[in-house]
Amino acid sequence: MSQENEKVVTPEANATEPHDKNVKLLSPGRMVARRFFRSKLSMIGLLMIVGLFLFCWLGPVIYPVWGETEQDFSGKTEYTYSLVTYEENGETHSFYQLVETGKEINSLAKPSKDHILGTDKDGRDVFTRLMYGGRISLAVSFIAVFAINILGVVLGGISGYFGGVIDDVIMRICDILMCLPGFPILLIISTLLDAANVAANMRIYFLMAFLTLFSWPGTARLVRGQILFLREQEYMVAAEAMGYSTSRKIFKHLIPNVMPQLIVSMTLSLGSMILYEASLSYLNMGVRAPFAAWGTMINIVAEDSNILQNFFNVWGPPGLCIIIAVLGFNFVGDGLRDALDPKQRR
Amino acid sequence: MFKYIIKRLALALLILLGVSLIIYILVRCMPYDYVTNKIAALNTQAFDATAIEKMYEMYGLSDNSFLGIIKGYIQWLGALCRFDFGTSFVYGQPVLDVIVDHMGVSFAVALIATVFEFMIAIPLGITAATHQYSIRDYLVTICVMIGISLPSFFFGQVLKDLLANKLGLFPPSGLVDATASHTGIALFGDYFMHMFIPILTVVILSIGGRMRMTRTNMLEVLNSDYIRTARAKGLKESVVINKHAFRNTLIPLVTSLAGLLPSLFSGAIITEQVFDLPGIGNVAFKAMMQADIPFIMGYNMFLALLSVMGVLLADLMYVIVDPRVKLTK
Repeated sequence: MSQENEKVVTPEANATEPHDKNVKLLSPGRMVARRFFRSKLSMIGLLMIVGLFLFCWLGPVIYPVWGETEQDFSGKTEYTYSLVTYEENGETHSFYQLVETGKEINSLAKPSKDHILGTDKDGRDVFTRLMYGGRISLAVSFIAVFAINILGVVLGGISGYFGGVIDDVIMRICDILMCLPGFPILLIISTLLDAANVAANMRIYFLMAFLTLFSWPGTARLVRGQILFLREQEYMVAAEAMGYSTSRKIFKHLIPNVMPQLIVSMTLSLGSMILYEASLSYLNMGVRAPFAAWGTMINIVAEDSNILQNFFNVWGPPGLCIIIAVLGFNFVGDGLRDALDPKQRR
Repeated sequence: MFKYIIKRLALALLILLGVSLIIYILVRCMPYDYVTNKIAALNTQAFDATAIEKMYEMYGLSDNSFLGIIKGYIQWLGALCRFDFGTSFVYGQPVLDVIVDHMGVSFAVALIATVFEFMIAIPLGITAATHQYSIRDYLVTICVMIGISLPSFFFGQVLKDLLANKLGLFPPSGLVDATASHTGIALFGDYFMHMFIPILTVVILSIGGRMRMTRTNMLEVLNSDYIRTARAKGLKESVVINKHAFRNTLIPLVTSLAGLLPSLFSGAIITEQVFDLPGIGNVAFKAMMQADIPFIMGYNMFLALLSVMGVLLADLMYVIVDPRVKLTK
């Protein structure tokens, strides 16, 4: 499957200098990197992701004016007017009544010098929350994807390599977990977390941990299928004949050959994991106010149609951030898939 | 073939059993139960301890120890064997009736969306594949990738804000216009107007995956020998693409149809929430918030059954559509 198998190994290939000066020797890794960096889309995707990471982690350091949960108490005067009609001597009169109310919190401020993207309903700076929210969303997705893949590789590897009863048991567990409806289960678990009095900013980690427990079968199946295929290859027979230890066979000969597919599936699932996390937060199951996550910041429009219609600066930016992140990972994943495909010639 | 199906069905039964046990235990562990909610909602002092005890007894929630839960599960399973899914606490109707009542909306949205998804995604995928690495390919790819990357709740709200609130073309939420009483065709028109934005949202979000799939398959087919033969025979390019290549591209698309089975009936929780459609997803969300155990069990088992059947049908479709594939095991 990987490049090593397909390349014709000539005796000269071991030499670092090619005999003909016009021929350039490229290792498979270099070839992949070249294909990857040549594709414009994957470069754009990489740029988007790196940009977002810098924004989220360096942003609060450079722009420490507001805190994540800090409210702006600078106050605000709000004017509301209403038409009042009254009747006097059989004639109707009407006038506009202007009411001036002083509010303690500078809530729903328009974008200005103080608040680059304005403030939300509770007077918190949207721009700052965008950065802190991004930290949670990105970190949580990364952790979950890595955990899912580690579980998937280990269990899928065991199942594929050893086969027999272990394989059967693991695969049946996979079948069951794959049929569990994910969202409803997480809803139930979310209420369980409520009962356990989990801290508001830790909830999402617990939820994602449970999500991990339910989501590894996809990866496990991928790894298992790949290992079943590789086990029959000649070079594995050779490794057997050489009397290599099991761990050496697994970690040096099997896992590296599964990696290409795994990397692609990981990158692509990062995008969907960000979407999943955002959806959980949107349904008020994940990160909850006052803490910020991109999904949580959009959540407000479900309750308040005034904000939906008039304050795009409150809920638009987090949505755009989610799109940029997911799109970036999708572009990179797509680019990686093309670059790692040995059939590709470009 | 027959033996294979029987074996798979037996396996499916085993899977469903495992799924139901997991869900039941989780549901029974939920912190707020229906009875407590109901008593809190009634807000009277008239309940003494024995009455509350009776009520728990009535709903079968009295024993919350591990053995009690297992007993409850066995009772639930026993009722299921008589095709009795129990009565929904919240709706007071048999669970099956509630599911069937609300499935129509979800099914209509999903079905129309799926039809449009295929109608738009397949031609897009084919043009992208036949013009690989051209501007057209990049343009289509970028557009559908943006579509995949959209969070449904955000995009739904944007469309709602734009098309319903700002432009006033469509009603923002609900399924029927409460102020008007339509009948006959006008009622259908009203349904359609309310479902338009949800369907649009779903279609735009799902085109991407299907288009990518079509493109990859088409590229694979276009690189195969028989296409070269067809071209060498001097066939017109349109014939090569539409008759020779497209038919083989259809194989995975048709098999993926079976995999769509769950999504057709299960409803979209988030999209239905955003547009306040009374579909099955929305109803289930509310039921889960109120710890309506029979309904949660019924709904989740319904979903699990659909996905088990979806996988089985997809595997069978492979064999039916592509004679080269042989059943193993």
